[in-house]
Parts: sequence; structure tokens; C-alpha cells
Amino acid sequence: MEHFIETIGRNMFAIFGVMALVGGLLMIASKSAIHSVLGFLFAMLNIAGCFLALEAEFLGVAQILVYAGGIVVLFLFVVMLVEVSKKKEGEVFQLQSRYAVAAVAVGAAMFLAVFRKAFFGVASPEALVLRPELAKGLDVAHQNAQAVSRGLFADYLLPFEILSVILLVALVGAVVLAKTERV
Amino acid sequence: MVSLNAVLLISFLLFSIGIAGVLIRRNALIILMCVELMLNAANLNFIAFARHNGSVAGQAFALLVMGFAAAEVAVGLALVVALYRRRDTVQVDDINLLKG
Repeated sequence: MEHFIETIGRNMFAIFGVMALVGGLLMIASKSAIHSVLGFLFAMLNIAGCFLALEAEFLGVAQILVYAGGIVVLFLFVVMLVEVSKKKEGEVFQLQSRYAVAAVAVGAAMFLAVFRKAFFGVASPEALVLRPELAKGLDVAHQNAQAVSRGLFADYLLPFEILSVILLVALVGAVVLAKTERV
Repeated sequence: MVSLNAVLLISFLLFSIGIAGVLIRRNALIILMCVELMLNAANLNFIAFARHNGSVAGQAFALLVMGFAAAEVAVGLALVVALYRRRDTVQVDDINLLKG
């Protein structure tokens, strides 16, 4: 029994990854848009699990907060606003563009050839590494959020500030786009 | 310890599912969700390389990408709502105003 649990713990990433793929497939295959949103939610939660398995604890929690807490709820609101009392999609899929499907198949074959060559290679042992002056007084291996914040605010402050401006622009733009014509 | 190739494979498959969804679905909302899935596959790659390389940059940029994704969803959903109000549909096949 302990051996079984240990094996599961070692293969956590693969389990979460496969479940995320299942969620994605549910999302693009289900007829009702609500079911698609639920598949999306399932995929996002499992991707958060993948982040945790990759020892990015802060990002895993942020993924759950941002996606499950914000974006999925927004999608559900709009789906319920738009899809209610609408007739079903007559034809769910559009496969008339055969060239697009063929191109995707060729790309997938190429990627799979790459992966077949070097499947499951060796992995590097070291965890996150900060510059010595940033890592002062910090247990980097166990304090992921602190380590990410020190890296973010030391080296990537400008992208962070640009992101805040972009969020403001998106906020104003969303209000302008969605408001009624005569106000 | 997770091997880098396993992460890249999962991320590639997620990205492919996203592309397939964008190509074959007709509902604008589901197309938006597929774009989100593709962004998440890219995020997974960022974090895998950060883990492999020991650099904090990957995680920092994954966080930034998450913020961009939120902004994109806000604007995209506003576009869908505006479209629905004007044309009464969210099926991309019915939106052919610019088609010659």
C-alpha cells in the first residue's frame, strides 16, 4: 500500500497532465457550451496541479485563483447570458477546411517524431536558483512565493508595470465595448 | 523530479487541443476558451524550463502571462457580448459582414 502511494506521488505530474488533456478534450467535444466551460475548469484545475508538481507553488495557487475563481465565472456568466433560449448548434464542428486539418496532422506528426527521439531524458537536480544578493536570508527551495517575488521585482519590474497598464486598458476597453449604444 | 520531456509532451498536446478547438468549433466563446488553453500550455512550458534551468525568470513571466490572459478574456468577452447584442448570434459562421 505504501509502495502504491509512493508511486502515485512520484507520477503526480503525469496524472494531472493526462487529466488536463481529458478536460481539454471535453471542452472541445461537448455540444453544450456549459459543459465546455466545465471541461475548461477541469483542465485549468489540473494544470494548476501540474504547476504544483513542478514545484511552482505560488503559480499553482495563482492559477486556481485567477482561472477557477475569475475567468471561468466570467465565461459562465456570458454563456448563460448568450446561450439561453438559443437553438442548438446545428453543426457543432466545421471540418470543411481540409487543408487546415491536414496541416495540423503534419505538425503533430513532426512534433511526435521529435518526442519519440528523446523520450523521458535525464532531468536536472537543482531547484530554483536566485542570484546571491537576492537570495539573502531566504530558503529558496521552500519559499517559492518569496523567491518569485524577489526575482520579479528585481529583474522584471518594467514588464510588471506594463502589465498593470495593460490591465487598466483592458478594463476601460471592456466597459466601452460592452456598454449599450445610447448612454 | 519530473522529466522535461514529459512536461513538453503534455504541453504540446494541450496546445494541439487548443488549436483543434479554434479550427473546428463555431462558437466564439469556445474559441476564446481554446485560446486560453493555448496560453496555459505556453505557461506550462515556461514553468518547466524554469524548473529545469533553476531560473526564476520562467515563473515570473508565467505570472505575467496569466495577467495578460485575464486582460484578453475581459476584452474578448466584451466583444462577444457586443456582437451578440448587435447580430443576435455568437456562431462565427454567421458573422460574415466583411466577406466580399
